[in-house]
Amino acid sequence: MNGREHSDAELLKRIDLKAVERRDRRRQGRNFLVALAFMSPALLLVGVLLLVPVVYNIYLGFTRWRKFSGIDEFAGVENYARMLSNPFFGEALFNTAIWVVASIVFPILIGLAMALLFRGVRFENTFKNIIFIPRILAPTAVGVIWYYVYAPDGLLNRGLSVFSGDPVDIGWLYDSATVTPAIIATFVWQTVGLVMVLVLLGLSAIPKDPLEAAKIDGASKVQVFQHIVLPLLLPTLVMVTILSVLAGFTVFDLLWVMGISYPGQRSLSLTVYMYFEAFQKGAWAYGSAVAVVIGLVVLCVTWIQAVLQQRVDKMTR
Amino acid sequence: MNKYVRSVIAGVLGATMIAGVATADDVQLYHDKGFWSEQLQAVGDASAEATGVRIVENPYATAEQYKAFIQASIASGDAPQMFTWWTGQTFTELTQTGKIAKLNDVWADMVASGEYAESAADLFTVDGDIYAVPLLLARWVMLYNKPLFAELGIEEPTTWDELMAAAETVKAAGHTPFNATVHEGWRGFIWFQELMLRTDPEAYLGLHNGTVAYDSEPVRRAFEMWVDMYDKGYFTDPRSNEEIEDFAGGSAAMYLMGEWVVGSLAASGLETSDLGAFIVPNVDPDAPSAVIVEGGPVVISAAAKDNPDVMAALKFFSSVDGANAWAEASGNYMGNLKADAPNPIIAKINSDMTEAGTATYNRWWEATPPDLQGEFVAELNRFMLDPTMDTAEDVMARMQALNAEYWADQ
Repeated sequence: MNGREHSDAELLKRIDLKAVERRDRRRQGRNFLVALAFMSPALLLVGVLLLVPVVYNIYLGFTRWRKFSGIDEFAGVENYARMLSNPFFGEALFNTAIWVVASIVFPILIGLAMALLFRGVRFENTFKNIIFIPRILAPTAVGVIWYYVYAPDGLLNRGLSVFSGDPVDIGWLYDSATVTPAIIATFVWQTVGLVMVLVLLGLSAIPKDPLEAAKIDGASKVQVFQHIVLPLLLPTLVMVTILSVLAGFTVFDLLWVMGISYPGQRSLSLTVYMYFEAFQKGAWAYGSAVAVVIGLVVLCVTWIQAVLQQRVDKMTR
Repeated sequence: MNKYVRSVIAGVLGATMIAGVATADDVQLYHDKGFWSEQLQAVGDASAEATGVRIVENPYATAEQYKAFIQASIASGDAPQMFTWWTGQTFTELTQTGKIAKLNDVWADMVASGEYAESAADLFTVDGDIYAVPLLLARWVMLYNKPLFAELGIEEPTTWDELMAAAETVKAAGHTPFNATVHEGWRGFIWFQELMLRTDPEAYLGLHNGTVAYDSEPVRRAFEMWVDMYDKGYFTDPRSNEEIEDFAGGSAAMYLMGEWVVGSLAASGLETSDLGAFIVPNVDPDAPSAVIVEGGPVVISAAAKDNPDVMAALKFFSSVDGANAWAEASGNYMGNLKADAPNPIIAKINSDMTEAGTATYNRWWEATPPDLQGEFVAELNRFMLDPTMDTAEDVMARMQALNAEYWADQ
């Protein structure tokens, strides 16, 4: 050991590393308690208002609770087995799948197209505000407005009559072939404004250098969009897709208001089906089981999208 | 200044204490009839004046939320003091919890006083015990547009053939005879129950206890008549979003509905003086007179039976003064024979029923098992939107499949 090493060892001995570590641990512990104290209101709210009801709902799905009794009777997987044999559940699941696909495709395509169309044009902000207005309306109010637009003597049929020259009398919200597309159109009308604004934000975050370089290299507008804009916009599009799918999957207000007179209303989506079973029939345990299935499917979809998001993030880094 | 502040604080505290004493006598009445909130509170205020016990109404926005509240309350052993419910099987289920008070003694007094007919308790009786007093006793009758009937020279029909002849006259004059829609998704049963009752009352009863199938001949006959009436153009567009406003605005000559709609029609511009009503005649003219009745019960919890304030409130509710306060506020009838009829339509139906000795039948909605109501009424709505015999056969088959499955489990 040379003189310098000897003096370092002496110094470390005098500092007492273990005591420093103990002090650090104590400080970290204090910091954690302070952080916990600051977080406790939020943790308490999330725990009491979100986690406890979710866990309780999962428990209820395994009971025989119907109307006034059965809340403490264990039923095993009885409710889940019943779901598989119920034709209305199958119809609701199918319609929900349509909603998921539609809520991915239409808001994204239309929102993206509108963002590209209005970006940089004169009165851009005015157009953006007008298209965003439906998003700030309550879905129930939107449902009531469109309920009357789609009425047999409503605005849509009258407009079509003027265009076609013949009286048009389509029962948009009464026919199984038109009711889901009609309500999806309303959903798209309401959500497309938000998608457009988010895409515009994504577009404005794209660096100008690669765009200018591509132009100098003689790339066409389509090539610039396909090879530069779209890849750089992917993180925004994935995030918008997640928001859109969750909104489409859990939509209830529009279906409830606009489908009120449609004979097959209970099968319009899993959320409506769950409401009918639980609240109309008092089949609380069965309704809870349906809610668990809805939650699981949403979790799966969200997980797939989170994985996609990570991959896209890696690609664009 | 401080003195003034102290005085104000003392005053507020004093008023709060007095209010606290006053609310100690309040009886809470829970219900799902938000559209009658003010009217129910008017009865509650009348109760405070007459008995010193104020009834405080607590409305729930939708029937579903309300059912959830009551079911959860009873499941947790804490039933509300006083609340409204529905008749039929859902009422039986409620009484089977053992948490609802028997009111046989209350009814004995109500009948002995001559205020109620003994049969008025039928809708609220389960296994020989009575569990409710009436909030509402609405007969489902044919309302008609008096000026239009007068213009076309139509008299009130007393037989089914006369009713069909009246419909034909109305149609020939360029009007639609009957107002009927699927608006709000629950109305599909109205004409179905009427046609079943008018053609085969025994089969109508059998539908509700599983002894008559929904694809049996009596049901098929009712559907055939219904299809025939649609083919003749007797009904309005079932897709209208404003059924009550349509009739008030003159969309049709006749409207089959509960008596409670009279107030809504007046609010929509059709004066009660322009409105007539009659009990729909039977297809078989020799069959006894019958009418569909919708009863709204008010029950109290078993624990509340020992509470003198609750009992005072309940007795006031069904008394002549209570019935009159309710009739004046809401235009509804609760079956008290000594109370004033809320409007000329109800007075006329009372008189017709007494004269004809009319039997009452529970409304299809309440009489049908709650597990089947929703799906069945959706099927009946589906028929109204496509009123052909092909659809009727499909509707009957689907209803019977659900019906058979349900009763097999009972």
